[in-house]
Amino acid sequence: MTTSTTVPVAAVTPSPREPGSRGARRPLTNLLGYVFSAPYLVFIAVVFAYPLGFAVYMSFHDYFFTAPGVSVERPFVGLANYTDALTDPAVRQSFVNVAVFLVINVPLTVALSLVLATLLDRVVHAKAFLRVSFYLPYLTSSVAVVGVWLFLFNGGGIVNRVLGPLAPDPTWLINEHLAMPSIALFVTWKQLGFYILLYLAALQNVARDLYEAAATDGASRWQSFVNVTIPSLRPATVLVLILSIITGANLFTEPYLLTGGGGPNGASRSPVLVMYQQGIEQGQPGYAAAIGVLLVIGTLVLSYLSNRFAGGDNT
Amino acid sequence: MQRRITRILAATAVLGLSLTAACGGGGSGSSGAQDAAKSARGPITVWYSNNEQEVAWGKSMVSAWNAAHPDQVVTGQEIPAGKSSEEVIGAAITAGTAPCLVFNTAPSAVGQFQRQGGLVDLSTFPDGAAYVTERSGDLAKQYQSAEGGYYQMPWKSNPVMIFYNKDLFKKAGLDADNPQLATYDQFLEAARKIKSSGAAKYAINPAPTSEFYQTQFDFMPLYSAESGGKSIVTDGKATFNDPAGLAVANFWKTIYGEGLAGKETIQGDAFASKTAAMAIVGPWAIAVYKGKVNWGAVPVPTSTGMPIGDIHTFSDAKNVGLFTACQNQGTAWDVLKFATSAEQDSALLTQTGQMPLRKDLSTTYADYFTKNPSYKEFGDLAARTVEVPSGPKTVEILQTLRDAYTRSVISGQGDVTTSLNEAAAKVDSLAGSR
Amino acid sequence: MSRPRTRGPAVLRAVVLGIGALAFLFPFYYMIIGSLQREPDQTVAGAFPHPGNLTFANYVTIDSRIDLLRSVINSGIFTAGVIIGTVVFGTLAGYALAVLQWRGRGAVFALALLVQVVPFQLLIIPLYVLIARSYGLADNYLGMILPFAISSTAVIIFRQYFLQLPQAMFEAARIDGASELQLLTKIALPLVRPALVTVVLVTFIGPWNEFLWPFLITKRADLQPLAVSLANYLTNVANSTANPFGALLAGAVVLVVPVVVLFVVFQRQFVSSDLSSGVKG
Repeated sequence: MTTSTTVPVAAVTPSPREPGSRGARRPLTNLLGYVFSAPYLVFIAVVFAYPLGFAVYMSFHDYFFTAPGVSVERPFVGLANYTDALTDPAVRQSFVNVAVFLVINVPLTVALSLVLATLLDRVVHAKAFLRVSFYLPYLTSSVAVVGVWLFLFNGGGIVNRVLGPLAPDPTWLINEHLAMPSIALFVTWKQLGFYILLYLAALQNVARDLYEAAATDGASRWQSFVNVTIPSLRPATVLVLILSIITGANLFTEPYLLTGGGGPNGASRSPVLVMYQQGIEQGQPGYAAAIGVLLVIGTLVLSYLSNRFAGGDNT
Repeated sequence: MQRRITRILAATAVLGLSLTAACGGGGSGSSGAQDAAKSARGPITVWYSNNEQEVAWGKSMVSAWNAAHPDQVVTGQEIPAGKSSEEVIGAAITAGTAPCLVFNTAPSAVGQFQRQGGLVDLSTFPDGAAYVTERSGDLAKQYQSAEGGYYQMPWKSNPVMIFYNKDLFKKAGLDADNPQLATYDQFLEAARKIKSSGAAKYAINPAPTSEFYQTQFDFMPLYSAESGGKSIVTDGKATFNDPAGLAVANFWKTIYGEGLAGKETIQGDAFASKTAAMAIVGPWAIAVYKGKVNWGAVPVPTSTGMPIGDIHTFSDAKNVGLFTACQNQGTAWDVLKFATSAEQDSALLTQTGQMPLRKDLSTTYADYFTKNPSYKEFGDLAARTVEVPSGPKTVEILQTLRDAYTRSVISGQGDVTTSLNEAAAKVDSLAGSR
Repeated sequence: MSRPRTRGPAVLRAVVLGIGALAFLFPFYYMIIGSLQREPDQTVAGAFPHPGNLTFANYVTIDSRIDLLRSVINSGIFTAGVIIGTVVFGTLAGYALAVLQWRGRGAVFALALLVQVVPFQLLIIPLYVLIARSYGLADNYLGMILPFAISSTAVIIFRQYFLQLPQAMFEAARIDGASELQLLTKIALPLVRPALVTVVLVTFIGPWNEFLWPFLITKRADLQPLAVSLANYLTNVANSTANPFGALLAGAVVLVVPVVVLFVVFQRQFVSSDLSSGVKG
């Protein structure tokens, strides 16, 4: 439900075998299929589809939440919320901000998790220790680790003291140009363990004879990494790409907690933070819903494109 | 995979279409039910604020009531969460799970709660309007809704002043007993001395963040004083870009520009930790800083250095809302009157130091103010407080101003006048609509 | 690998991984140090424990303002409810998607993927209204658990694991007259125990760290899980304590410790290969 849970692990995995042929060859299993998945479907209908449909409905109205039994006018406004959102400088800026975030976070996540997972895969000693250290930030709630980051990165914090004259001014989180990159770094650090886990899992399935063939051909370690490992991990890479795009699009807690409501000068305001301000603080859920729908569409398009271009032929 | 993505897109479309049909409004509460609830009596739930002093007051108020009314038991509890309590209340209204009374309703949220149909108009009780005006006098006007009802009981205010740390002032070579802080020039000069002498890292440190409510603790108090008691929006028009507003904004811009205030959020309380030598606070601070800081208090500065008798300031009021979700509104109204009686107000003043929104406060509790001279000036100021604009758009108005302020004043980007004018134009359209 | 072993790359690898581990662990180390400081010390020397500046006072303060035991019990109930729901309904749906044949199976799977894309903030108010107003589940463990009771992620993980099992095995058991429920519980589940461990651990993190939802749905302090009471403590109380940073970090440590302990205990089972079938190359 939240980004802290995981993964459509199989999202980019070609199913080993599409089970069975279509149709009702076996009426009983057909029925059982519905029975077994009924709780899940009911659940999806109740906690996902209904609120989502409701949100889409709101986005076309000047909506307002009222106490039970109170009726206010909630006129249908067509696309007005959408056109307002697209012309609102604050909303535009938030989408630019999240683009900055993605440009930094996504390549960094893919590169670092790929390299660290490859190294970790070959490690013999202290494997458990290393694994636990890399997963630790992922296991921890943002609320808890944000405090340490504030302690590390504030103006008089230890990072700036170590940097000395190189410390940025204004300092990290209140610097218009560094606020979003700082958040992107934080999120990369926080989520990396999970992506390392994904790559580690995928590495188990890279056929060992491919490496042997490469070694016989006299390839260096680097060459076999580039020519064997990276292509073999392509499905996992697409998954990591898509998941980090989704995480980035849903960014909320970090700018909210790290930069005191999206400052400086709105430079770290994410679309979901704008939704929160508009929908919950300012009582305009229709407008917030329109921003949310735009965000979901944008995320779907980006995910589709990553799959299309990074996925290549073998997915 | 591509086929799968297509399927996802199709599923989205289907979901969107099929479910809009299912989303009608609901609920069956009729006005008849509300009328019946008005006179109903029985157990009720109330929330009070979660700071230590108010919790103590709330608990003793509830037990005093319960001792006398065993058939109408009140259950009291702390409001869940601090910063976000308005969101919790808003959500509770929508769900019909709001408590009967909330002894900490922010006036900035009342407009939205009212529009949600979450609040009972107190003037619909036979003695409602009379009770409110009898208790609060002219101060009540600021809390009246556009149609003249009372959707909040004016309860207590925290007229804000400047607290200064006497020890740090001495260290900076300033007169600690009679500091010269009345005009902007005097204030800036003192601030520069504090900084250059190294007495404290910052002269003053209001929260430099973008949350809408922060406007109430830097721009608004000084604007109330400078403008002689104007609200930031009057008659549906923004006023904060007038000469008084520009003077205030430029004053703060100088403060930030010269590094006299921090642009970075400080964990904890800058004044208590002696990071800042001054703070903008209400009378609640007297209890909080007792024994921690050797403080003195002066009114907020103005460009000309007005005498304290002419100074207006931001109220930082917290009021009481009676919610429509309440089943036993008869009891709730009685409890509300009990909790705002002269006796309970006196207990509130003594225990929390916050000022009951009563007419003639200083004379009603003359004893108290004689015994506690440090409260005297706050008590006087309580008669000249300015409130946030009312109506359902308050938060949006404050956020608009805050965004312009953080950009042009705190970050120092662009022209202050242009920035405030742009914000004013936006606020005009907000305040004008609905 | 038949490559001759050389020391150079191994040393480089150790260095890179060591630096990585340091970058990942240092903030946690700093969290603990900071939580034990009497006065916040932001100098470089402050990163090392200093006997004169050590205290447990920050923890004592938290315990005096929050009923820690009660909060941990609430977190436990919330988390256990979510895990039970996730495992029971997740295996059922995963089994149906992988082993059974029925119309609409593809659409259901697509739905499970779609769920991940939508931000929770978009759904939270309608969901709150539904659960609190229509079902009357505010201030109730059930209301807290419901939105997390089934995880689409778990469904997808289970489906993936069940797909790996040979279909012939099920056919054979069916011929022997076993019911599908028996197949699931007696044959399929024991074979995917790694998936079970993975799902339990991954699911645990969610409700344990979740703040927004329980914060909205429970207004009674005696029902709030640890993450919520700590956040309340941090926004209201910590600022007025003598060492707010220390209080903040102590709160963080209290929240982190149970997760880390659980993970370290189970990490042997949570090995990387568990997910291997999920991300096949």
